[in-house]
Amino acid sequence: MELKVNQDNCLGCGVCVISCPVNAEISPENAGGNGSKTEEVVTMIENGFVKIFCADKCKKCGTCQMFCPCDAIWVE
Amino acid sequence: MIKNVKEVKDKDFNIERSAEEIRNLSFKNHVCIGCGICESTCPVSAIELEEIGAISRNKINTTFSGHDKLPQNIHKGFDKAKLTIDEHKCVLCGMCSGLCPADALELTINGVPIANIDSYPHFISFAEIDDDECIYCQKCQTACPRDAITVERKLPNRADLVSGEIEVNEDDCIYCGICKEMCPAEAIEVDSVTGEESIVIDKDKCVYCLVCKKSCPTDAIKAVCRICSYGDYDINPEDAVVTGSAIIDQELCVKCGWCEGVCPTDAAKHKKPFKGSLDVDQNKCQTCGACADVCPCDALTIPSLKGPVKVDNVIKRDEYCIRCGACEKTCPNDAITVKITNVDYTPTNSKTWIEALEALKN
Amino acid sequence: MPKHIASGLKYLTAVKLKEQGQNQQKIADELDIDRSTVSHYLNGRNLSWNSIDVAKTITDLEPKDFLKMTQAIIQNPEQIRKIVNICKKNEYETIVEDSCIGCGLCVDLCFMKCIKLDSLKAQITSRHCCGCQTCENECPTNSIKILEI
Repeated sequence: MELKVNQDNCLGCGVCVISCPVNAEISPENAGGNGSKTEEVVTMIENGFVKIFCADKCKKCGTCQMFCPCDAIWVE
Repeated sequence: MIKNVKEVKDKDFNIERSAEEIRNLSFKNHVCIGCGICESTCPVSAIELEEIGAISRNKINTTFSGHDKLPQNIHKGFDKAKLTIDEHKCVLCGMCSGLCPADALELTINGVPIANIDSYPHFISFAEIDDDECIYCQKCQTACPRDAITVERKLPNRADLVSGEIEVNEDDCIYCGICKEMCPAEAIEVDSVTGEESIVIDKDKCVYCLVCKKSCPTDAIKAVCRICSYGDYDINPEDAVVTGSAIIDQELCVKCGWCEGVCPTDAAKHKKPFKGSLDVDQNKCQTCGACADVCPCDALTIPSLKGPVKVDNVIKRDEYCIRCGACEKTCPNDAITVKITNVDYTPTNSKTWIEALEALKN
Repeated sequence: MPKHIASGLKYLTAVKLKEQGQNQQKIADELDIDRSTVSHYLNGRNLSWNSIDVAKTITDLEPKDFLKMTQAIIQNPEQIRKIVNICKKNEYETIVEDSCIGCGLCVDLCFMKCIKLDSLKAQITSRHCCGCQTCENECPTNSIKILEI
């Protein structure tokens, strides 16, 4: 299984980025909503859409898919 | 040539080899707790556990907040079984079945489950409700994290337990309807229409609370107390008994002990197959809740929130943890450590099986 | 032709049984043929020496190939087992190690039906083993050793 995104569905709200527990560990400042300082995170919002940066860091816990309001990110 | 035949039915499947004997390995997805013991035990590496965090947390038709999803946003692709077995690799040895703490995998030989064959070891564990002790309070049914308990009860007839009855002296009654409005049991009917006045008391509903008597402006209601007037208290104790049945669905039960924990009497008893420990490193934990969502025994929970505050830790109910390790496998922050220190199983002569059982300890 | 080779194999078996001191009736019962045929075989009548030669070549093959060829020529599994068992060139020592998991695959695969499971471990009746090594090769835990004596 792997992490997938569908930018067509994405609203760019960033809930997935903030809720991701791996992101929170790598870049705690994520929680503030201003984005992380490093690109070493799993996901980030870029140009208004979610983008996967380090797919190998994803542990497939499903937190992002649970919070995403429009199924733009999921583990499949 | 001898071949395994796989039959898939929704998310469940059967693998069968029939020659000298018929061996059949069945998998029930709804019973699987995602602990992955089968995956690490399989001697031929035929089993693959899926990402149960993602699987148990996908909401197909609704969003997390409970709203229906737009049709174009519904993905069915991630709705899959918790584990897969490669039928070309599987040799139907039954080790996964013997070591599955939830009995989601079951090997039968000529139709007999290996749990019923003496030469195979099996975990010593149980959960039962003693009918003689059970008061059918249904607390276990509510607490059971697997919805495995059904408590049905038959209540006594309420009228049999009422200690008196009321009578109306129609000479004094003015049919004002005050008693009807006051009655908490809706046992009184009053017709106040001029010329058609009547009052009727439904003795099956009346609980002899005497609110009517106290509120009657003309003192028309008489109380006839059975205790006072008949001397002895006339309620038959047998009429007050609640009867019923409490049944544990052994297929779903994981022997976590919630039923015993909440039981106000000594009716519910259980024994877990493993002893060990569960530790959560609260510094590493980012409270994503994946552990709580996969835990089959509600031993880990995320506290419910009031307002926009960050949860700072998960709540651990150590006494209900069965040490299956599903949470440890799921945690994205490696914050959970589950250790098994003791495994209780029936004796066997097979050294390999003993080795596999002992290997569960870490 | 296969029929002739089958006769050759039966001839070889009959001779072996005779050497073991069995009488003609007993041999006939063992091979499920009538006594007069056994008598013919043992006296070298109604049988081409060519087919006996071919049959001899077959019994000299690797045990696995001997078994396979016999399976191709003769249909009755019970008869195949008897012929292979009597005409095999070697006896075998069979070892099942403790790493056996009791999956029963060898039991299902053994054409000679000489493997049984006992307490989650394979038990091989060595004197019936034909040395084909199917069990040894297919065992998922490599727990079986078949050694020529």
